Amino acid sequence: MSKAFLIDTTRCTACRGCQLACKEWYELPANKTKQVGTHQNPPDLNANNYKLVRFNEHLDGETITWNFFPDQCRHCIEPPCQGAADTVEEGAVIKDEATGAVIFTDKMAQFSTEDLDYVRESCPYDIPRWDAKTKRPAKCVMCIDRVREGMLPACVLACPTGTMNFGERSEMLALAKERLAKVKKDHPNAMLADQEDVSVIYLLAEAPERYHTKAVAQAPARNTRKQLFASVRSSLTSVSKS
Amino acid sequence: MTNHWIDIKNADSILIIGSNAAEHHPVSFKWVLRAKDAGATVMHVDPKFSRTSARSDFHVPIRSGTDIAFMGGMINYVLENGRYYKDYVVDYTNASYIVSEGFEFNDGLFSGYDPKSRTYDQSSWKFDLDSKGVPKKDPSLKHPRCVFNLLKKHFSRYNIENVSSVTGVSKDNLQKVYSTFSSTGTPDKAGTIMYALGWTQHTVGVQNIRSAAILQLLLGNIGVAGGGINALRGEPNVQGSTDHTLLYHIIPGYMAMPRADWQTYDAYNKANTPVSTDPHSANWWQHKPKYFTSLLKGWYGENATAKNGYCYGLLPKIEKGADHSYMFLFDRMYNNEITGGFIIGLNPMNSVPNSNKVRKALDNLDWLVTQELHHSETTDNWHRPGVDPKKVKTEVFLLPSAHRVEKEGTVTNSGRWLGWHDKAIEPEADARSFGAAFVPMMNEVRALYKEEGGKLPEAITLLNWPKTYNPEYWTRLINGQFTKDTVVKGTKYKKGQQVPSFTALSDDGSTMSLNWLYTGSYTEEGGNKAKRRNPQQTKMQANIGLYPNWAWCWPVNRRILYNRASVNADGMPLNPKKAVIKWDGKKWVGDVPDGGWKPLSSGKGKHPFIMSKHGHGQIFGPGRKDGPIPEHYEPVETPIDSHPFSKQLSSPVYKFVDSSMDKLAKPADPNFPIVLTTYSLTEHWCGGGETRNVPNLLEAEPQLYVEMSPELAEEKGIANGDGVIVESIRGKVEAIAMVTVRMRPLKVKGKTVHLVGMPFCFGWTTPGTGDSTNRLTPSVGDPNTTIPEYKASCVNIRKADKLTEIEM
Amino acid sequence: MSYTRRGFLKLTGAGVACLSLSQLGFDLTEARAYATSLKTKGAKEVITICPFCSVSCHIIAHVRDGKLISTEGDPDFPINEGALCAKGAALLSMSRNEHRIKKPLYRAPYSEKWEEKDWDWVLSKIARRVKDTRDKELIEKNDKGQTVNRLDSMFLLGTSHASNEECALIHQAMRGLGVVHMDHQARI
Repeated sequence: MSKAFLIDTTRCTACRGCQLACKEWYELPANKTKQVGTHQNPPDLNANNYKLVRFNEHLDGETITWNFFPDQCRHCIEPPCQGAADTVEEGAVIKDEATGAVIFTDKMAQFSTEDLDYVRESCPYDIPRWDAKTKRPAKCVMCIDRVREGMLPACVLACPTGTMNFGERSEMLALAKERLAKVKKDHPNAMLADQEDVSVIYLLAEAPERYHTKAVAQAPARNTRKQLFASVRSSLTSVSKS
Repeated sequence: MTNHWIDIKNADSILIIGSNAAEHHPVSFKWVLRAKDAGATVMHVDPKFSRTSARSDFHVPIRSGTDIAFMGGMINYVLENGRYYKDYVVDYTNASYIVSEGFEFNDGLFSGYDPKSRTYDQSSWKFDLDSKGVPKKDPSLKHPRCVFNLLKKHFSRYNIENVSSVTGVSKDNLQKVYSTFSSTGTPDKAGTIMYALGWTQHTVGVQNIRSAAILQLLLGNIGVAGGGINALRGEPNVQGSTDHTLLYHIIPGYMAMPRADWQTYDAYNKANTPVSTDPHSANWWQHKPKYFTSLLKGWYGENATAKNGYCYGLLPKIEKGADHSYMFLFDRMYNNEITGGFIIGLNPMNSVPNSNKVRKALDNLDWLVTQELHHSETTDNWHRPGVDPKKVKTEVFLLPSAHRVEKEGTVTNSGRWLGWHDKAIEPEADARSFGAAFVPMMNEVRALYKEEGGKLPEAITLLNWPKTYNPEYWTRLINGQFTKDTVVKGTKYKKGQQVPSFTALSDDGSTMSLNWLYTGSYTEEGGNKAKRRNPQQTKMQANIGLYPNWAWCWPVNRRILYNRASVNADGMPLNPKKAVIKWDGKKWVGDVPDGGWKPLSSGKGKHPFIMSKHGHGQIFGPGRKDGPIPEHYEPVETPIDSHPFSKQLSSPVYKFVDSSMDKLAKPADPNFPIVLTTYSLTEHWCGGGETRNVPNLLEAEPQLYVEMSPELAEEKGIANGDGVIVESIRGKVEAIAMVTVRMRPLKVKGKTVHLVGMPFCFGWTTPGTGDSTNRLTPSVGDPNTTIPEYKASCVNIRKADKLTEIEM
Repeated sequence: MSYTRRGFLKLTGAGVACLSLSQLGFDLTEARAYATSLKTKGAKEVITICPFCSVSCHIIAHVRDGKLISTEGDPDFPINEGALCAKGAALLSMSRNEHRIKKPLYRAPYSEKWEEKDWDWVLSKIARRVKDTRDKELIEKNDKGQTVNRLDSMFLLGTSHASNEECALIHQAMRGLGVVHMDHQARI
């Protein structure tokens, strides 16, 4: 049975406990950042931030909405990145059967810049990043080291509000359903983002683009999301299934 | 907090005002959201739409500095619409007391005002007493001079119209908050008010909080689960450092600082011990001499005897009315009246108003001792930008400080829980805890006095003072010990053993305690209770989230203060679904009750507000310096020059200092039309000394910004991300413009008023991040506390040609 | 290639944060071996308390060989239940950041630099300043002839970062010296 996250954005206060807990657990160095007129910092995911809280604000008439989106790898059920990486070298991206964690291996250090870009472009959520110098791949690994020991991922443990949840996929789906029903009372357009395709399910109170341009899967121009998943599905190696 | 963090979950209505809880006490939102899950309405009243507002049911933008108008409007609404909890008001508050003839309120001034000294003679703010000295009451609340009717009259001016025009809050929003929150004025509902520095940092700060006290008493929300007035204290151990009192005006345990006109131990006790003749008033402070004597015994040990007044004579005495707070200290320093001193774990060169002045003032010291984790604007003031160190005389000592994980001891959280932290690792390099620096430092001073003599050496040489610093030794002394063999309720205690409870403290010299409020925290029977980690609770306790066996809480492990107000005269809970305490016929169950007397109906009970002399919640509160009832006054710097409540524009008694550098903008000054409010943020702490030096936190919030509305930005030709100059009459500050729809222009008295907000955590010792925002703010303060008015001052803003303090 | 657990710990302990699985291959049994090499495994757990806001979240500090290797929220503490905000979550890097002051520093009058000193030197020097100031400036009587024993010209500012024990002893020391200008964050 694989694991899943439920990220209930309707509870998030953007305290960034998750963003920092992730950085601290993996002892990732700090980036030099600047204030450019937003609280979202660093501006984007990068080799030193596997997790980033995105801030998006809206004014509709006199109503202010401030949406927070703790962005991270979705650990896709059938990861397009794995398909893409396999075309370069099999096994460069692995999927842990027990947890469903999608993990980049150091084989990717051998990838050319074009190969890496190809892997990044395959991601419908634009998650993968690398350290430009070392080509060290960087993204959320589901705290597989912790999870295998029966511990919660660092970001989930740190979350004060119940935004970050983690457990068996079936439990998370049930919780997601329950929370969605409740949120829908006030927010009829509330939704679960791509719940069938990913292990990191976001509960959104309103249209995904009001959170982040890639809150739901964004297919490359030529493909629909379904086509995208279909196209990579065929290229999956038996490794992940073994 | 009257209640505690977990208790927030019990609220039916949560009013967050003067606080940005989700950003500054982020984990509090765990409990706010639990309440919300259970159906509570969460309201955020604040100038800025923040992360707190984002998770509240609604946000109500308000002009900074107009909270009393807002709260006064709610009090008026509650009184006019009969939304108060009548039995509670009559039984447990002083609403029925008759106020003496002579007390008056006219056009913004209470009786007894002396414009020359800018102070009140408070002698007319009193109650009529009967022949026994007990306040006269009219439980029918009909007497025209009873507190209830004076309150009604006072706040009748606070109608929706007036309140809306001053606060900038729309009438709809006022109605929405008033009607929602006042729905808790019934026994089965509770509302909590969460406030923080957004309320204290005003020239009317104390009266902001008084307005909450009055409202909560009217609604019967004090002493109950999910109720209370919950001060979200600002800093890591600020509750403990207040209890143990690194403050000038009190000594540990909330007792007055000795004064010149109280020359002897007896005079001190006489002046400070209240007397009540009401047999139903516990008048708890009648025990003060026991606590005071035990404190003196703690300080001077065996040298403190009845004969020498327990060494009271050696203590410093302040003059009546003297103010020795920051604001006045720095003014005296500026005027060359201060020689040297200590600044530890604090960055006043960033966090005290009018930084340009205080930075200059610090140069006048002969010597300065600092102890910090990192260099700060304070430790390194002598070579700040624009200053030639060769001209600065100050001798500076900078001691390396141990970090929290490198030391052990107790801290007290906002809910009064006492927690023990262990030492995880040895201090970095040569770093030391404050204790490990001050204990040997004092021993050096003591040795010098023993060797050389000097002025009043015995004040130092007679101190009860250890050779080295051992934290738990002090934890024990804080609780208190017997100084001779004693029997308490049949139990024998030997000299040197721990005192079991503050009821065992004595004024005959047989006990010592460094803080009576903590007596019971470290006992022979229970050990060091701060270390307790036992989740055990009864069903009744579990129902409202009480953890009586986890850690310990002052006083006497009582988790909800004034909890006797949560039951009726028979000791039965007013709200049985969320009972705090209950009389089971023989004893109290649930929380530790506010005094163990039988219920009031037994004839042997006591009124629930045991810390006030007469035992009732103080709707009329005569102890404050600016009036017994709150009144709206404008901030000292204000964008308007009149308001509808009175002709008294600003507080008639606010405190200020006067120097060539202490300029104030005049009311409605066209040069400074914008209201500035300052604040902390989630990722940095206070003056920023610690957190700016943590690269991972600096990454998340790297530079000083100013939040402003798109409307203001357009007016000033400023784009998001532009460098700007913010200017007050006192100084200017560079910042990055954060143009955001979360700041809304307000309509105040028919005209548009803009607000801007800035954090104050950035400073020049972290290059390129910006420098002190407090170069803008004024040295004016609350008349009771002298807390400065950081939250409302007037500025202007313009696009910068170039920035020198911030790296673009 | 074989990898001992200890070796792997060294790798992660050195702050190499990439999840290097290539040396393990993609064989999942070896990936599991990686997963079991939890960096905090077997480390001593010490309870500490977040040094920031007054919620006082409890934190578990993981210590190995006298070194702090990780910090995270204490899931048993009933108030924070393991949760921490950005500041609390950054406790590890706060305690080991490169900006920490390591030795007592001294800046002489009119000097342009700090000098490193030892504790004995600074404490005796400070004690001398305190005593000289007090002996010269202690006010024993006020204008009315009342005994006041007050040292107006010396002050203490700070700190809510101190423990209760430290606050109690600092207050006692300051009153003994006659200090009345005493204040800290509670008034900000």
